[in-house]
Amino acid sequence: MTPDPAELQDLLARVAMRDRAAFRQLYQVASPKLFAICLRILKDEQEAEDTLQEVFVKLWHNADRYAPQVASPHAWMNAVTRNLAIDTLRRRKPGGGDLDAVDNLADAAPGPEADAIRRSEGRRIEACLAELDPDRAQAVRLAYVEGESYLELAERFSVPLNTMRSWLRRSLIRLRECLTR
Amino acid sequence: MTDDTPALDPRDIATAGEYVLGTLPQPERETFRRRLLSEPALLAEVARWETHFDPIAEEVRPVSPPERVWDGIERRIQPGMGSAAPNGALRLWRWLAIGSALATAALILVMWAGIQRAPDERRLWVSDMVSEDSSVRLTALYDESDGEMRVSVAGTPPGEGRDFELWLIEGDNAPISLGVMPHEGQAAMPLPEDLRTRVANATLAITDEPAGGAPGGVATGPIIALAEMRRI
Repeated sequence: MTPDPAELQDLLARVAMRDRAAFRQLYQVASPKLFAICLRILKDEQEAEDTLQEVFVKLWHNADRYAPQVASPHAWMNAVTRNLAIDTLRRRKPGGGDLDAVDNLADAAPGPEADAIRRSEGRRIEACLAELDPDRAQAVRLAYVEGESYLELAERFSVPLNTMRSWLRRSLIRLRECLTR
Repeated sequence: MTDDTPALDPRDIATAGEYVLGTLPQPERETFRRRLLSEPALLAEVARWETHFDPIAEEVRPVSPPERVWDGIERRIQPGMGSAAPNGALRLWRWLAIGSALATAALILVMWAGIQRAPDERRLWVSDMVSEDSSVRLTALYDESDGEMRVSVAGTPPGEGRDFELWLIEGDNAPISLGVMPHEGQAAMPLPEDLRTRVANATLAITDEPAGGAPGGVATGPIIALAEMRRI
């Protein structure tokens, strides 16, 4: 069950004040989701456990850095977790390290920036992914959920590495336009 | 979030997206991360991507991690408890059971009554350890006059294949094991001579350890409860 954001925010505030009971509670409510994220990305039980441990040690020391005006507590903790998991993954297998930065994007300028972040709740991302070519939407998902590298994606979709990267970057620009519309 | 920051180059928007997705190749990832330290607009862009993508992370079905993960976390945020010197000999002390379980509220009184022979000669110290959720209570009473430590344990026993272990912590020194606790009831043992002078400034703690006590005399489990020794 997904914990209530207000409860998580309150727990984070108490953890920032070194409240161990709150920390234990935060672990109880938040760890199953964060562990699942680690497992999906790392596909290795031991590494997932180690990463989850890192996540919570980090939360213990950095809970005061959580800024409610920037992100929901879920989004923040998920991001901390994904970041550490991706770091572990990329340290393990550098997949795609030889890629050129593909930056022929000048014709894909985004619309004006809006106060997007607060409107992104719900299924907005799903609607915008649906506007992409299905393969490209799937590539975004596979990268995000499974931690696939450009190398893995290029093999999966049978395209050259740099083409894969170009696809994905263009997809991101289109997504961003849609998300801020 | 309203944006006062200048519009980002589309290339940076895409790179921030790659960073959040995790596809940014490792050397670029490191470079990008360094830029985040000095470019708030870029950092805001990362936060936007994180929020936009987050509903996808929420779709992942939760999996409960094994208990040892929490044990490891707790060990790492308790500086004093992880670095104890091995103290095998002390760990092997045998506590002698001296009674059966009694109602928690009566425990101190009962233990006190057992040593009430000449109250004014007694110099007593007590540490009353109660876990955060109140499910475990361990009361330790030390009598300076005869060097005897008495403990009383009540509440939820440790899990299958686990034992509670009692530790003496003095300042920043490594915790010293006082042995494995009975699952319930009371027990007594003489405190070794070299520890008797150290009780006054000590804190006692119980941790959850593998059956038979922490391997190598170093606490491995989470602290269930701790309390300072008080003179009574």
